[in-house]
Amino acid sequence: MSFLDWLILSATLLFIVGYGTWRTRRAGQTMDSYHLGDRQAQWWGIGLSIVATQASAITFLSTPGQAYDDGMRFIQFYFGLPLAMVLIAIFAVPIYQRLQVFTAYEYLEGRFDRRTRTLAALLFLVQRGLSNGLSLYAPALVLSAILGWNINLTVWLIGGLMVLYTVVGGSRAVAVTQQWQVAVIFTGMVVAGYLLVHYLPAGIGFTEAMQVAGNQGELNLVDFRFDPNDRYNFWSGMTGGLFLALSYFGTDQSQVQRYLAGRNITESRLGLLMNGLVKVPMQFGILLIGVLLFVFYQFNAPPLTFNRPIHDQVAASPQYGPQLQALEQRHATLFQAQQEATAGLVQALRTDDAAQVAAAKTHLQTTNAATRGLRTETQALLKQAVPSVEAKDTDYVFLTFVLHYLPRGLVGLLVAVVLSAAMGSAASGLNALASTTIVDLYQPSRPHLSEAHCVRASRWATIGWGVLGIAFATFAARLENLIQAVNILGSLFYGTILGIFVVAFFLKSIGGRAVFWAAIVAEIIVLLLFWRTDIGYLWFNIIGCGLVMLFAALLSLRRKQVL
Amino acid sequence: MKQDSKKLETSSPSPEERGAGGEVPVAGETTDTTNWQAWYWLVLGALVVEVAFFTYLTRAFTA
Repeated sequence: MSFLDWLILSATLLFIVGYGTWRTRRAGQTMDSYHLGDRQAQWWGIGLSIVATQASAITFLSTPGQAYDDGMRFIQFYFGLPLAMVLIAIFAVPIYQRLQVFTAYEYLEGRFDRRTRTLAALLFLVQRGLSNGLSLYAPALVLSAILGWNINLTVWLIGGLMVLYTVVGGSRAVAVTQQWQVAVIFTGMVVAGYLLVHYLPAGIGFTEAMQVAGNQGELNLVDFRFDPNDRYNFWSGMTGGLFLALSYFGTDQSQVQRYLAGRNITESRLGLLMNGLVKVPMQFGILLIGVLLFVFYQFNAPPLTFNRPIHDQVAASPQYGPQLQALEQRHATLFQAQQEATAGLVQALRTDDAAQVAAAKTHLQTTNAATRGLRTETQALLKQAVPSVEAKDTDYVFLTFVLHYLPRGLVGLLVAVVLSAAMGSAASGLNALASTTIVDLYQPSRPHLSEAHCVRASRWATIGWGVLGIAFATFAARLENLIQAVNILGSLFYGTILGIFVVAFFLKSIGGRAVFWAAIVAEIIVLLLFWRTDIGYLWFNIIGCGLVMLFAALLSLRRKQVL
Repeated sequence: MKQDSKKLETSSPSPEERGAGGEVPVAGETTDTTNWQAWYWLVLGALVVEVAFFTYLTRAFTA
C-alpha cells in the first residue's frame, strides 16, 4: 500500500472511532443508556445498525469470491429474510417492546422460568462468542496474506479499537459508528463495481459483461428444483433461510438489541422492515461484483491461486515446486485460449447469429471447464503440500483485485471498508454478549446490586468478551469458507433457540420444564446429526426448531396425563 | 402512528408486573392497532419483484 492508502485508511478509521467515542462520551451512565442508548433510536438508525451488524468483513471478502467461483446462486439464501422481517415485526416486536426488556432471553423467565432463560442465554453466548472471534479473525487472515500484515497485530488493532468505543459509549457508540461504517462500505463497494466495468476492454460494456457471465452460468440466481442436499436453491432459501433469519433477527441478542433500542414500536418495526427491503438488493450488488470479477478475469490473467503466500511456500518446496511450475505453464496456455474464446463469444453475440453464439458459447464453456479443473488440481496440490491450510482461495479474490488494479488511495478506502465492516459487526456482538452476561446471568442472582455497579460490571463484561474474542481470533484455525463457517455455527444453535421462542410465543399451554428438556434433547440431536450426516446446514434451523416444539409438546402432554 | 406509539409507551407494565410470570404476553396479545398491512405487503411485494427479476436474469442470460 502507498502512503496515500495508509493516510486514507488511518484517517477513515480514526475518524469513525474518534467520532463515535467523542459523541457518546457521556452516554452509558445507566443500564438503559449503556445497553439500549436510552431507547431513543429512530427507524433509519435501527435499520442501518441491523444492516451493519449482519454485514461483517466476511460478507465483503467471501461473497464476491463465492460469486466468482460459483455464480450468484448464494442470493437465494436471503429469500426468506424479508418474510422473516415481517413475521418478527408482527409477532416479536410488540412483545419485546411492551415488556421493555433488555434482552430477548429476559422474556423467557417471565414466560417459562429462570433456567430456560439461562439455557437460551448460554446457547447464545457460546455461539456468538465463537462467531465474534471469527469476525475478527477473517479479515485479519486475508489482510495478512495479501498485504503481509502481522495477523495477530491486525486482530489486536481491529479488536482493540472496537472494544474501546464499545466500552466507552455502549450501545449508542455502536450505533453512531455503524452509521459512518455503512457510509464507507457503500461508497467503497460502489466505486469498486464502477471501476470493474470501467477496466473491461474497450467495447465491452455492462450488458456484454452480463452476457458473457450468463453464458458461463454465473447468473444462476434462481433455481426452483427441490434438492435437500443442495445448499442454495429457492426452496432452501424460503425455508432454511427463513428459519435462520427468524432465529437470527428474532432471538439473537446482537440483532434484537438493535431494535429494542427503538424509541417505540413504530421505529423498531420500520427499522426491521427497512432491512427487509434493502438486504436482498444489497447482497445482489455484492454478488454482482463477484460476477464482474469473473468477467474481468476472462480478459486479464488471474493468478493460478489467489492465496499467494501458500503459492509461494509450495513453489519454494523442492518436492512440490516443479509440479506447481508445470501447472503454471498449463494455466498460461489455457488463459490464452480462454481469452480468445471470450473474444469469440463477444463477436458472436454482436452478430446475433444463434448458431454462431451457440458454438462460441460451447467453446468458452470448454476452456472455462478446463480452467476450473486446473484450479481444482492446484488446490489439491497445495493441500497435499501444506495439509494444515485451506487451499480454497475464494476469500482472497476480491482483495487481490483491489490491490493489483485499483489506483492509489482507493486501495486504502477498500481496506477501510473491510475493517469498518469487521468492527461494526463485531461491536454489536460484543455489546450483546456483555448485555446477556450481565442482564441474564449476573444480575438475576444478585437483585440488590446498584445500577452504577451493574453498569461498571457491563463495561468489564465488554472488555472480557472483547479480550476473549481477540484471543479466539489469534488462535483460530482456518475453516473451509469463512462466511459459510459463521452460518454453519449459527445454524447449529439457532434452531433450538428459535424453538424455545416459538413455543413461548405460540404454544401457551406448554410450561418451562417441558421446553427446557426439549431444548436440551433437540440440541444434542442437532449436534449428532451435524457430526454423523451430510444434511445441508440450513436445514438444522428447521430441524432444531421442530424438535424443540415436538418434544416440548410430548413432554407437556405426558405431564398432564401423569397429573 | 404516533398516537399508537404513545399508547404503547403508557401500556408498558411495571418491573413488578413483568417479573410476576403470570401475565407475560404471547403472540396475538398486542395492543398495537396500527394498520401495518401496507408496509408488510410492500416488503413482500418487493421480494416477489426481486425473485421475478432474478428469474428473468437467470433465464435471459443463461439461455
